[in-house]
Amino acid sequence: MTDQQPDSTHFGFKTVKQTEKVSLVANVFHSVAAKYDLMNDVMSLGIHRLWKRFTIDCSGVRPGHQVLDLAGGTGDITALFSKRVGPTGKVILADINESMLNVGRDKLRDLGLVNNIDYVQANAEALPFADNSFDIISIGFGLRNVTDKAAALSSMFRVLKPGGRLLVLEFSKPEYEWLSKVYDLYSFKLLPAIGGLVANDKESYQYLAESIRMHPDQDTLKQMMETAGFEHVSYHNLTGGIVALHKGYKF
Amino acid sequence: MLSLVPQLICATLEKVLHKVVAMDPASPALLQKVQGKQLALQLQELPWRFVLSATAESLLLNQHNEKVDCVIATDLATLQKLNDPSLLTRLIKQDKLQIEGDLQVAQQFSTLLQQLNPDWEQQLSGWLGDALAHKVATAIKQLQLYIQTQLQQLEQASVELAQDELALSPTQAEMNQFSRDVSQLQARLEQLSRHHAFRQE
Repeated sequence: MTDQQPDSTHFGFKTVKQTEKVSLVANVFHSVAAKYDLMNDVMSLGIHRLWKRFTIDCSGVRPGHQVLDLAGGTGDITALFSKRVGPTGKVILADINESMLNVGRDKLRDLGLVNNIDYVQANAEALPFADNSFDIISIGFGLRNVTDKAAALSSMFRVLKPGGRLLVLEFSKPEYEWLSKVYDLYSFKLLPAIGGLVANDKESYQYLAESIRMHPDQDTLKQMMETAGFEHVSYHNLTGGIVALHKGYKF
Repeated sequence: MLSLVPQLICATLEKVLHKVVAMDPASPALLQKVQGKQLALQLQELPWRFVLSATAESLLLNQHNEKVDCVIATDLATLQKLNDPSLLTRLIKQDKLQIEGDLQVAQQFSTLLQQLNPDWEQQLSGWLGDALAHKVATAIKQLQLYIQTQLQQLEQASVELAQDELALSPTQAEMNQFSRDVSQLQARLEQLSRHHAFRQE
């Protein structure tokens, strides 16, 4: 971390130029988009659905709210929000990756969710929305892939309404030593193998496992959110800290 | 792992509710009255507060402590009695039921859940055919009636056992007599104390 060049960043365990990371991450998601939902279910044994539901439960969403689902991918969180904001509210599904956005749009349309959802291809570091636009911003399993996380958090802070809250659902650091060992074994040995078998793409899932290890841990991310201006920042560890939900308010 | 149990309950129940609502052709009209409203239910037996919200198409379930339109706090036994509106005031007086917020929302949800009449037979006929589906539905109705009768008989028998056979609890007439006696005693006591006060002056 310390010997990193100023214009370089992480891509999994590799160090790459900052300008390259976006296209490298894009390649990963172009590659996995079609099998993304299936892989999520296989990899997490379906528990990712409960992580996402927990996020909704912590969001304080009400009918009429304006919600931004960043890095919304295939739209799981958007679907949950869309039903809850009702016809008077709006959910914007934003993702930097066109392939993921297309898969998400098709899926949500098949679910009959069309009236209150907009789709925007956007970079989290420079969100194309006016200041104070949203009651809730969620970013589920996306912050990890953002090149400049501080810029992304500041951008989210800018577009959030005063009184609004940001929810960051992301892989994190397991709370227990034994769980950490089992999890390492699982994600470095088993996960790429499953990825190769189901999605025919071993490298992308190797990247997934590596990028999780390079992501800031619970307290570091909390600190980063506070630096970006968020207040009352707290986090919940889920499934032993494999995933953590960070919550922060803008006042 | 345990922290996700309420989410699992919500996800499962929400699926069931969605199916049940979809089975009732009259549900859109019923849902329209409560659309956008949220009702929280805090059961004494459970550590979580569940929130029921209505949309135009279905009922959603969440677990949180955020602001809602109406909160009902009660226990499981009382919850079953809630479908009789005449008991409502008595239960509140007995402190078995606390309602906070918009009472009308609670009533609207209660009406919705009571009037929801899923057409099981129609669904079943898709799997079994009309004749067999009708037979199964009739059998289930008969079974329900049988269980209900048996439960009533059991209740009656246990009351008789306690009152007449074992003489553990008083009969209605004895109870009335006792209440009358107590009232008379109270009246007499009041009369005496007034008399006493008059004497002292």
